Amino acid sequence: MAKQLAFSIDLNKCSGCKACQVACKDKSSLPIGVRWRRVFQYEGGEWLNQNGQMVPSNVYAYSVSSACMHCVKPICMEVCPTSAISKRDDGIVLINADMCIGCRYCSWACPYGAPQFNEEQNVMTKCDMCFDLVDKGERPACVESCPYRAMDFGPLDELQAKYGTFADPAPLPDASITQPAVVYLPNKVTKSSGNADGRLMNLEEL
Amino acid sequence: MDTREWALLLFTILGQAAAGLMIVLMIVRTYIAGKADSALADRLTDRSLYMVVPMMALALFASLFHLGSPLHIVRAVPNIGSSWVSREVVIAVVFVAFAALYTFMQWRKTGGEGLRVVVGWIAAIMAAALVYAMGMVYMISTQPSWNTFATPVTFIVGSLLLGVLGMAVGLVAGYTANGNKNEGKATGLFQTILQGLAMTAIVLLGIEFLVLPIYMAYLASQGGAAMQSLGMMFTSYGTVLFFRLFILFAGAGVLAAYLYRNASVAEKEKTLATLTYSAFALALVGEALGRFLFYATHYRIGV
Amino acid sequence: MTQNNFLTKTLNDTVMTRRSFLKWSAAIGGTAALAGGVDFGLKAIEGAAAAGEEQTLTVGCYHNCGGRCILATKVKDGTILRIVPDPTPASEETDEVPRAIPCVRGRSQTRRVYAPDRLKYPLKRVGKRGEGKFERISWEEALDTIASEMTRIKETYGNEAFYFNYAWGVTWTGPDGSSIIQRMLNLNGGYVGYYGTYSEAAYGVAMPYILGGYAGNSADDVVNSKLVLLLGDNSLVTRAGGDNGGYWYMKAAEKGTKFIVVDPILTDTVAATQGEWVPINPGTDVALIAAMAYVMVKEDLYDKEFMATHASGFTEDTLPEGAPRNASYMAYLMGKGYDKVEKTPEWASTITGISAERITNLAREVASVKPCAIIQCWGPQRRAYGEQFVRAVPVLAAMTGNIGIHGGNTGQLPGGGYCPMGGIPVPPNPVQVSIPCFMWPDFVTRGTEMTVEKDYIRGASTGWSANAGDTTTAQQNKDLRLKSNMKFMWNHGGNCIINQHADVNNTRRILEDDSKLEFIVTVEVGSTPSTMYSDIVLPGTTGFEVDNIITGEGHGIKGNHAWALFNHKVIEPMFEAKDDVWIAEQLANRLGFGDEFREGHNTREDWLRDMVAGAQASVPDFPSLEEFKEKGFFKLQGGKPFVAFEGFRADPVANPLSTLSGKIEIYSPILANLKNEEIPPIPTYIPEWEGVSDPLREKYPLMMMTTHFVARSHSTFETVDVLQEAHPQCFWINTLDAKKRGIKNGDMVKVYNDRGIVHIPAYVTTRVRPGVTNMPQGAHFTPNADGVDTRGCGNTLTNYRPTPMAKGFTAHTNLVQVEKL
Ligand SMILES: Nc1nc2c(c(=O)[nH]1)N[C@H]1C(S)=C(S)[C@@H](COP(=O)(O)OP(=O)(O)OC[C@H]3O[C@@H](n4cnc5c(=O)[nH]c(N)nc54)[C@H](O)[C@@H]3O)O[C@H]1N2
Ligand SMILES: Nc1nc2c(c(=O)[nH]1)N[C@H]1C(S)=C(S)[C@@H](COP(=O)(O)OP(=O)(O)OC[C@H]3O[C@@H](n4cnc5c(=O)[nH]c(N)nc54)[C@H](O)[C@@H]3O)O[C@H]1N2
Ligand code: SF4
Ligand code: SF4
Ligand code: SF4
Ligand code: SF4
Ligand code: SF4
Ligand SMILES: [Mo]
Repeated sequence: MAKQLAFSIDLNKCSGCKACQVACKDKSSLPIGVRWRRVFQYEGGEWLNQNGQMVPSNVYAYSVSSACMHCVKPICMEVCPTSAISKRDDGIVLINADMCIGCRYCSWACPYGAPQFNEEQNVMTKCDMCFDLVDKGERPACVESCPYRAMDFGPLDELQAKYGTFADPAPLPDASITQPAVVYLPNKVTKSSGNADGRLMNLEEL
Repeated sequence: MDTREWALLLFTILGQAAAGLMIVLMIVRTYIAGKADSALADRLTDRSLYMVVPMMALALFASLFHLGSPLHIVRAVPNIGSSWVSREVVIAVVFVAFAALYTFMQWRKTGGEGLRVVVGWIAAIMAAALVYAMGMVYMISTQPSWNTFATPVTFIVGSLLLGVLGMAVGLVAGYTANGNKNEGKATGLFQTILQGLAMTAIVLLGIEFLVLPIYMAYLASQGGAAMQSLGMMFTSYGTVLFFRLFILFAGAGVLAAYLYRNASVAEKEKTLATLTYSAFALALVGEALGRFLFYATHYRIGV
Repeated sequence: MTQNNFLTKTLNDTVMTRRSFLKWSAAIGGTAALAGGVDFGLKAIEGAAAAGEEQTLTVGCYHNCGGRCILATKVKDGTILRIVPDPTPASEETDEVPRAIPCVRGRSQTRRVYAPDRLKYPLKRVGKRGEGKFERISWEEALDTIASEMTRIKETYGNEAFYFNYAWGVTWTGPDGSSIIQRMLNLNGGYVGYYGTYSEAAYGVAMPYILGGYAGNSADDVVNSKLVLLLGDNSLVTRAGGDNGGYWYMKAAEKGTKFIVVDPILTDTVAATQGEWVPINPGTDVALIAAMAYVMVKEDLYDKEFMATHASGFTEDTLPEGAPRNASYMAYLMGKGYDKVEKTPEWASTITGISAERITNLAREVASVKPCAIIQCWGPQRRAYGEQFVRAVPVLAAMTGNIGIHGGNTGQLPGGGYCPMGGIPVPPNPVQVSIPCFMWPDFVTRGTEMTVEKDYIRGASTGWSANAGDTTTAQQNKDLRLKSNMKFMWNHGGNCIINQHADVNNTRRILEDDSKLEFIVTVEVGSTPSTMYSDIVLPGTTGFEVDNIITGEGHGIKGNHAWALFNHKVIEPMFEAKDDVWIAEQLANRLGFGDEFREGHNTREDWLRDMVAGAQASVPDFPSLEEFKEKGFFKLQGGKPFVAFEGFRADPVANPLSTLSGKIEIYSPILANLKNEEIPPIPTYIPEWEGVSDPLREKYPLMMMTTHFVARSHSTFETVDVLQEAHPQCFWINTLDAKKRGIKNGDMVKVYNDRGIVHIPAYVTTRVRPGVTNMPQGAHFTPNADGVDTRGCGNTLTNYRPTPMAKGFTAHTNLVQVEKL
């Protein structure tokens, strides 16, 4: 049994540039609207009037790059009526386009919004962990693309040993739902899943 | 809501109406069985039966518009062991097959009475299974507004409500079509059944009325994504919610009550017909609005 | 979808969206005639190289972000499959010489090459100028027309009617680029040049008066800093990829360097370095600096000895001879200067919006944590009184003793190395007069009236360098005049005709009258607002369609090493696109100086070989053209990070700065001589017009900046769909200002002032100071029938009012009002 593969993202090194998102779209020729990797902009805090002067109070912002988490407990696979979704030996969760009937239940279920419908092909698609590259011993396109080297890739247990086990920064869901194969390194302002005072800012997600 | 969700709305509403009708029909037939001969039973109920298959066919047709690749639908069969969508698809097909068989046999009066009853009951049981499966499809742990007791309960209750009123439609149609030739026995049966149906509709509406606030309170207690859904019900879709309640209770409810009171007044056939058809139509619209809300306000946990 | 499908689809889209080039004209009400099919593109693909085989070839990212990141492309069957980063194996990457991993823009290059709005064939304007009616013409006709217009205008008005416009679409590339065109224009008798930049006009002009010229520690030196104070520096966006500033800031942050960022916006730089944000009112940094200096003086926290030996005019006793009393910076701080106001933190607090306590603490921290790199960037100098800011920051660097040491800095931008490469030789320009680049519309309307003293026209241009805009040197001929207004403009890969220049609606009015500026040639790859105002539009190749060599400047903000990059032709030119060398040579032939133009360079390779020879002359181990092409890049390692003014620090007498006194000239006698209140001799806080304290705020209460945006390099990449999707164009507004106006995140708003109206989605955020807004620059001006810009072009609202001394762009100083639509 091969080891579960995973991503790690160091939020201390992420500028929110979305090079990873665009690299992914370039690699897999994704149409507009389909973003296998998305970068969530999260911010919080407020401005207060102190003696006539405006001062920021705990204003913070950070970005969370996220794609399919190739979960240990893939809820997408559970709900899929066909056997279109499968999990490889190395943990990569794949959608077989030929098997997909496009019912969208996986996208209703996945708390990461990873499965996204491709209107041109009429099938559900999602991050395939660049398995074609991985099988050749290369690293996924997004991981390679980060100008600040925020991303890493490898067996989940090794990444966890290196970077810890934090997997659910806000605005991502609680990691217990699907046990995502991912490690995030929080930065000074990172909030945990369920944090109520921050806001997801991305206009394209509105 | 996009085209695909409209397709689902039609599929679930029509499918549940057909299923409900099938179940109610078999119950009514069982009730009649001891009290009249099969010819009378057929006369009172066959019109309702003829509604089942077209409704279900329409439902299935609509469902195809929900799928990205409808031609691949057969691929949904193998996963019946784990997926409620698979089960839903398979059960729907089995149901419509038995319902069609039963309808054909009733129409041609072939296959012998006993066998017909058996086939009818298989169809009814499949109908019940279908409604249950439909509900289970939405029990997705990451969809808190769906993943509650309220989903199967409202699906079942809604299905029975449409079934009961649909049955009433067929019954009234069958009865009035016979003009003044209805003998006393037929009239008596007609009146008791209609009254029973009207009563049942009121009870079912009562259940819906009860479930809704409990459901909302539950959502409110969950916070997070559930709260988002609840918020949407009152803000973006507040008007829809209002109309749904209004149409269902002030509309279908009041009509059903009238129906109950007037069912025994044999001379008022026209009024009865108007009341029954309107009640069914309003219930259909009310349920459809409810289903619209169901799809429009779901809010997934996560991003 | 396979990549091939992607391409065919794009090409099909190209046919269908051919009209998108004309959308603009349609919006204005014109109809367009643009004949022709798309067989050219398809032919190009058929004719492409190496069928079936996948190759990885280097190309460069050559836009005016300055980065010059190394991209590689996977190509197959003459089609670009995808972009991959710097092909240096990850295992060979070191801390000193990182791989040049491209930013989000470089990543999207494929979509720029295969863009639906690519220009396909030469176009000739047929309607009124600006109306957007064009007709397809042959290259033959296009070149003949340009040649005959050049001849006519030269004969009628002389070479002083010619202008080569400021443009950065193809620069630091060769043999394509500006130089090859300038070579042709000079052989034709020359043209009026420009000096300075839209980028750093005030910086270029003012910095020499305090530090003698450009000098900063190399960007990789910040890893040696304990503290970094950034003023208006958003390098995580503006120097994003490769080994530019952004990369080194992140390296430093990782190693524990603390960042403090003074900026009205909580930029990605603040967020990514997890720095402390000092949200300042725009245009008030000089007041903040004065107050910090005040605290340092009052609390005796500054390097007195260094200031005594290395600076002039800081205190009364170091003022140069002839300076009046109380003219020193110290006098200014202590309330003895011209305004008699003490520069206390309380004073600065009301101006800057930062509490007095915060200012005091900031002063203490910056004065005590050593080494501290104090860095200014160009945003705050692209403002009403940009020159004051430029000269104020080095004062802090000097006072804190951080000049000339590792981990410190001069208060300028970080410097950086670049690989010396031969360029295309440009023969001397026979026309010995130049204008500040930003002032070209005045050259159109009143060129012959422009003067040295008022408009700072100058002798021959020195291009872009320190002192480039030195308007004060004694040898200036005060009677210099332009002999003609502008009649001919060559716009080479630039969008400054309309989009990138201030006050679009003003420029439009000037250009619509084609009896003034008679002929405009634009060479472009895509359709832009500037092509709409051109008379002949020529479709140029992108870097992917032609062999080039790319060297870099990285806007100075780089590590202490550099590279040259061989940019391979990876696909055949799309449609009828032609390279710059061919265009210039064709014109030279027509104008009768083809041989002089070529000077023995008969093929493109001859020019490339020349460039390599240039590099070999200064870098002995620079490879041969063949080896260079094979490997794709040559990296030059500079060893330890560079420290600016090390020698000066050690011995200011032996190693003087190139200022008049050889010292840090806080009081400049040359500027004093100008006797201009807006150009005082010491860095002085001057309240901005359309700034924080302008009474006009009653009508237009919100200050608006137009910062450089992550999804574009100016307007380049503007139409790239995946970038629009990743970073939608939007208008930044504080939550409180938005709430007052009933605006929610994502709502469409109307932003307006007396100069124009823009409709744009609002980005409602706590990341911008209340009272401040931002419309990232570079979106294509896209007016609807009412002339309202519907895309979010900041220059619809900016002011064509230059800085006092450099005549530079004041892009960030604007007042606007906002309403929910
Ligand atoms: N409001 C506001 N305006 C500003 C600024 C600001 O801060 N605020 N900043 C200013 C600054 S600093 C600058 S430097 C200017 C920059 O202004 P410009 O130099 O005009 O820069 P771009 O808008 O990028 O225009 C470059 C053009 O070249 C084209 N191009 C790209 N590649 C090629 C190629 O290979 N061949 C050819 N022929 N063309 C190509 C692109 O399509 C693009 O239209 O903008 C200035 N404008
Ligand atoms: N992504 C991207 N990168 C680019 C470019 C691009 O278009 N896109 N353009 C390139 C070019 S040509 C240039 S010239 C450079 C420009 O680089 P810069 O001039 O540094 O860029 P700007 O975004 O204009 O300004 C930088 C910061 O200054 C802040 N600022 C504005 N006014 C003030 C002020 O009064 N005080 C303080 N403290 N801060 C202020 C802004 O909020 C902004 O965050 O960028 C280069 N890099
Ligand atoms: S490429 Fe790297 S820095 Fe940019 S958004 Fe992705 S993870 Fe963050
Ligand atoms: S992230 Fe979503 S799609 Fe990916 S494996 Fe997990 S549940 Fe499935
Ligand atoms: S959309 Fe496709 S992959 Fe997703 S659940 Fe349906 S059949 Fe499975
Ligand atoms: S692993 Fe590959 S497919 Fe998945 S997000 Fe990264 S680039 Fe996209
Ligand atoms: S940083 Fe500049 S040169 Fe590098 S990839 Fe980005 S846009 Fe291109
Ligand atoms: Mo610039």
